[in-house]
Amino acid sequence: MAISRRDFLRYCSMSAVALGLSTTDLLNLEEALANPAGPSVLWLHGSGCSGCSISFLNRVSKTAPVSVADLLVNSINLVYHPTISAVAGEDAALLIDQTYKKGKYILVVEGGVPTAFGGNACIAWSSGGKDVTFRQAVTTLSSKASHILSIGTCSAWGGVSASGSNIAGVRGIKSFAAPKTVIHIPGCPPHPNWVVWAVGQILLNKTIQLDGAGRPVALFNRTVHDLCPRRDTEEASTFGIPGRCLEELGCRGPETYANCPTVKWNGGVNWCVGANSPCIGCTEPSFPGTASFYSEGDD
Amino acid sequence: MSAVLKIDPVTRIEGHLSIRVTIDTVNGMQQVVDAWSTGTLFRGFEKMLLGRDPRDAQHITQRVCGVCPTPHAMAAVNALDNAYGVTIPVNALLMRNLVLGANFIQSHILHFYILSLLDYTSGADMPVWKPSYQTDMRIDSTKATQLFNNYVSALDMHRKAQEMGAIFAGRLPHTPAFLPGGITATPTSANITLFKSYLNQVISFINNVYIPDAEYVASVYSDYFDRGAGYGNLLSFGVFDKDVAGTSQFIRGGIAVGGSKTIQPLHINLITEDVTFSWYADSTNNLRPSAGDTVPQYPKANAYSWLKAPRYNNQPFEAGALSRMWINGDYREGISVMDRHLARAIEARKLTNKMKTWVNSIIPGQPVYAKHTPAVEADTFGLTEAPRGALGHWVQIRSSKISRYQIITPTCWNASPSDDSGSRGPLEMSLIGTPVINVREPIEILRVIHSFDPCLACAVHVMDTKDNSAIKISVL
Repeated sequence: MAISRRDFLRYCSMSAVALGLSTTDLLNLEEALANPAGPSVLWLHGSGCSGCSISFLNRVSKTAPVSVADLLVNSINLVYHPTISAVAGEDAALLIDQTYKKGKYILVVEGGVPTAFGGNACIAWSSGGKDVTFRQAVTTLSSKASHILSIGTCSAWGGVSASGSNIAGVRGIKSFAAPKTVIHIPGCPPHPNWVVWAVGQILLNKTIQLDGAGRPVALFNRTVHDLCPRRDTEEASTFGIPGRCLEELGCRGPETYANCPTVKWNGGVNWCVGANSPCIGCTEPSFPGTASFYSEGDD
Repeated sequence: MSAVLKIDPVTRIEGHLSIRVTIDTVNGMQQVVDAWSTGTLFRGFEKMLLGRDPRDAQHITQRVCGVCPTPHAMAAVNALDNAYGVTIPVNALLMRNLVLGANFIQSHILHFYILSLLDYTSGADMPVWKPSYQTDMRIDSTKATQLFNNYVSALDMHRKAQEMGAIFAGRLPHTPAFLPGGITATPTSANITLFKSYLNQVISFINNVYIPDAEYVASVYSDYFDRGAGYGNLLSFGVFDKDVAGTSQFIRGGIAVGGSKTIQPLHINLITEDVTFSWYADSTNNLRPSAGDTVPQYPKANAYSWLKAPRYNNQPFEAGALSRMWINGDYREGISVMDRHLARAIEARKLTNKMKTWVNSIIPGQPVYAKHTPAVEADTFGLTEAPRGALGHWVQIRSSKISRYQIITPTCWNASPSDDSGSRGPLEMSLIGTPVINVREPIEILRVIHSFDPCLACAVHVMDTKDNSAIKISVL
């Protein structure tokens, strides 16, 4: 049932343009996949909701029937993911420790870092009777990671987890991973294609150019408004009217960098604005902000 | 000789859960004799909603959980529809039910295949499915391969259930389309046809793969019909309004005490939250959610969880698909680990059959949103069901802004700590008596835990209060 590596490569070559891969890239990818010492991935959950992981599981490509299972089987060595891993407790902690000792893994972090209560607002795991806070986990595991991917807006800048008065003292992971570079793949949740793209670039040993907010320029260089098919339509004055611009209803498209209008969501069946819902700006450092999602004009 | 075992992290759940058990030999059998369930993440949604536009609540509260965000959206908008006295259009009712239904289905599929199945059989022979436990694995390798193929199909079907929901939700998880007055998405014959085509695939999977697999696993592990019973106190708030007046629901609410088949009506006023063993100030103990308070206090003597202990009439109650199916008379075979899995599969079939009726009742061109004047002041609540069980939002609005917001989630009921009367939480209670063959591989304990489908992001208390004053709830 699992797609073979040959099939994965065929998928990549068919969707090379969509993935931004050249012929040289494809050859390098073949080499990377053939390498039994391919990069290990550790995926951690901090202060968040798991929405990023659920979104990641929704991965599908229009050009080939590749699902997340195919990615897990054929391209990365996912050592640990809290939602999927077979083992628990001490065995899970041991897996993480073994990977840490070997070093050079891809660290994927979903959820922000709580700093209140000495970091005890989030315990990552317990081993040998000792609790490890999420803050400790991120700091320690960042030190030997080859790449650090922050998945979701909470992990990047705190997001919803840090909004309001932020009693738990939630922060993005960047300061805990310093001095390592953190690649931000924001979104609440992020689109699975963005996550997979980033992993693909890492497998190909490409340097990802980041914008001022640490997001890949290749993915976050246009605003939703720039790409929106409704930008020249008359504004809707109330809800539930199809096909019209949603600026009057509070749409944050003009100040939100994301390619949602072109990539669309959930296998391309729809997207937020496609359902006549104003964009809430979930890929931005300011998300969620304090202004109403339905307020017109600048926040 | 007794031993203490701590499992942290519990994997294949949502969120952060640590389980501690005492294991001892009783009547010649090594088993769990005591258990403590600890939520190990505190986010403090408190005050997050304070001062916000009430319509923001459906967005913010969805981020309580990325597996079950849609029920939070439903509870949030139901509370405001009630507060604002708005009757939503029929199309909106149907589309909201269909999006919530899609969320139920993706969650049921995720729970059985991705979160639970590896307790009973092995996955592929590679990470992330290896390493895995070997103790008490009873399924032969041929059948194990078939089940794992179905696991892979389930990942696909999980994705498809979300695509189906996104037709009207715009995006899943975290739909932006729910709001008081209705829904933003507009139905067309094309998107209705697309929804039906997905629904047929989902129904086929439920009938031909999911239910047979659940029954197979239950037959091989039939001793688990006698494990994990807990108290047998079942609770449901009811879900899926049948009409825009909200007078009746497709899945009804109610309570059943101690496994009784006599269903009693639910009285909201009998719900309180105990914090004796929770990391919150004792001054906030045993308050009704409408008048409650959340003051984190860490450390605190004797406390061991970020979860509060919701109690109904001072008793621990279990929420979930089994509670719903029991209360509605659809499944009353028993209360146990396996009964929870089977009830969920049966609910998936019942719900998807009803979804056919709902989608066929949508009329393109008819309104989806009812304009209304939002109330400036209101005290309201929205009660619904998440896939994992009963969910309630309690909302106070003053000067058109949220002045108090409080949530009780199903996992708060299920994974709660003890209370001041010494009653353990339902999950803790269900672990007592669980045999453990090999302390190094506590697979039996994981089976019991996973039967509740814990979601800890939801369970850690999410509420917002400004002061201690009692709030009058208008009965709606």
